[in-house]
Amino acid sequence: MTERAIPWPMMALAVVGFAYMLLPIFVVVLAGLTAGEFLTFPPEGLSLRWVAAFLQSEKYLSAFFFSFRLALMTMVVATILGTAAALFLARSNVVGKAALRAFFLSPVVLPGVVVGFALFAFFIYSGMGLSRTIWGLWIGHILYSTPYVIGTVGAALAAYDDSLEEAARSLGASPWRAFRKVTLPNISQGIQAGSIFAFIVSFGQFEVSLFLSAPNAEPLPIAMYNSLRYQFDPSAAAAGIFAITLVIASVLLTNRLVNIRRLLGRQQGQ
Amino acid sequence: MSFVEFRGVTKTFGRAPAVEQLDVGIAQGEFFSLLGPSGCGKSTTLRMLAGFIAPSTGSIHVQGRDITHLPPEKRDIGIVFQNYAIFPHMNVFDNIAFGLVERGEDAATIRRKVGAALEQVGLSGYDERFERELSGGQKQRVALARVLVIEPHILLLDEPLSALDKKMREEMKFWIKSIQHSIGITTIYVTHDQSEALTMSDRIAVMDRGRVLQIGSPVEIYEQPRSRFIAEFIGESNLLPGRLARADGTTGAVEVAGAQVPARLAQPGLSTGAEVAFLIRPEQIRLEPWSADEAPMLTGKVADETYQGALRRYRIDAAGQHLTVEVPNRPELAQLPPGADVQLYWRPESGLALA
Repeated sequence: MTERAIPWPMMALAVVGFAYMLLPIFVVVLAGLTAGEFLTFPPEGLSLRWVAAFLQSEKYLSAFFFSFRLALMTMVVATILGTAAALFLARSNVVGKAALRAFFLSPVVLPGVVVGFALFAFFIYSGMGLSRTIWGLWIGHILYSTPYVIGTVGAALAAYDDSLEEAARSLGASPWRAFRKVTLPNISQGIQAGSIFAFIVSFGQFEVSLFLSAPNAEPLPIAMYNSLRYQFDPSAAAAGIFAITLVIASVLLTNRLVNIRRLLGRQQGQ
Repeated sequence: MSFVEFRGVTKTFGRAPAVEQLDVGIAQGEFFSLLGPSGCGKSTTLRMLAGFIAPSTGSIHVQGRDITHLPPEKRDIGIVFQNYAIFPHMNVFDNIAFGLVERGEDAATIRRKVGAALEQVGLSGYDERFERELSGGQKQRVALARVLVIEPHILLLDEPLSALDKKMREEMKFWIKSIQHSIGITTIYVTHDQSEALTMSDRIAVMDRGRVLQIGSPVEIYEQPRSRFIAEFIGESNLLPGRLARADGTTGAVEVAGAQVPARLAQPGLSTGAEVAFLIRPEQIRLEPWSADEAPMLTGKVADETYQGALRRYRIDAAGQHLTVEVPNRPELAQLPPGADVQLYWRPESGLALA
């Protein structure tokens, strides 16, 4: 197969697009490495003092690990719910399926502020004791992350040939075994992509967290925001460096895990 | 009692019936084809037998047992799909072993049976290949091996040749038939290709719009089609409008293209004066008499000629009606230029009057 040359205007557009998306990240990273007292760009000399300050800050570290745990918990539930919902949307003949799909996806379409406020109000008025608790926050994050899983798993199912599962059934597999042994391995890429999305979305979530997080358990974006409201110090940018690193690492790690698992699966099969 | 029986089976999707009042019996060991254009209900019928969809009304029986509500995994029916449905995440060995694993066979038995199945389909040594490394014909062999290895009661084939190129299709046609014949497995074959159905089947059910129009051997279907639809769908046909001039029992005469020609009657109830379609197959017509005293059935002019290698194909204009005539391409047979006057001859029993 020969590679076709990309026309230069498209190439230029792509470069501009990438620059637009990546520049803010460079700004944050450089600002976090400043030697000065204040959050400025360009930085006043380079040093690791604010990175060290982040690592010594009880507030930031606990927020970082709280966000990490919250994102993991959200990822698990969103992956299960999102996969189930995508399967239902792909396979049932229920009337009003299009409306149902739109409903499931609505949390990402609606402004985060609206979703956050609606949940906040609901938690308060329903009297379930969920407002400003970890559980309420978790529910909010699940609501916000699940559509990404529905999207990626839905795309995987659209490309999946249903006759594979039918073949497995007619060869003697029960519905569950046919799903687990044939369908699941063939849509696993979509599920994994969806769970990475869910993790990243939850980790970076701000608007919903703003309404739902408890004062003693702040996710990292809320901690950064609160800190920047009172002092414009570069430790927030240093926290940003760690957040960016974690997201990149999670993507790379998952890629690696996927390959390893495929490798194992192939060897077991023989 | 038939081996497989559909009793009054109807399937509706929404309001439109896909299959209507299907009553078909299939004998043990028979190669039975469901033939029809797309949307005729043949695939729906197959999928009901496989257990992927349930009939709206009616019941399906195998060996006298009602299997209408049995899930697919309990039916012991093997199916080969149009796209073969080879599991892409498993190699050939694991694909073929799948049904045996589900049946809880031990590793040694599985190895032996899969090896035998691979040999049967001529793919020994392909154990470790994946779907993407197989040609269309090889995929089909794997799909068939995967099904045959579990020794099902019934083999279902859903348009298994339609994804192959022409040469491979011819080869697989005979190969499938010979495998089927050697194991003697009851086989139901779904196709829209009349030549596949004619070549391979013991019996054919011609379907259209959810109904079975005719069931019979390939010879019966081709030579005694019961309706114009079947006559046109199976093979090439000349269907000319005519009027029944004489009817006595199973034979009669039809007024067609300004002449009166003898014809068998497709329906016994046809009466004199009825509007009919006169069917004569292109390969039945000769442009030269077999003996000096043979009288022509029709006369006309050559409209055009198409060279087809083994055949010459003439379009003949006979009193305003167009007929296609196929003549073997042999030097002793006359070649006629467009505009030439011709006489058309055929055996009296070759013509069929259809209601």
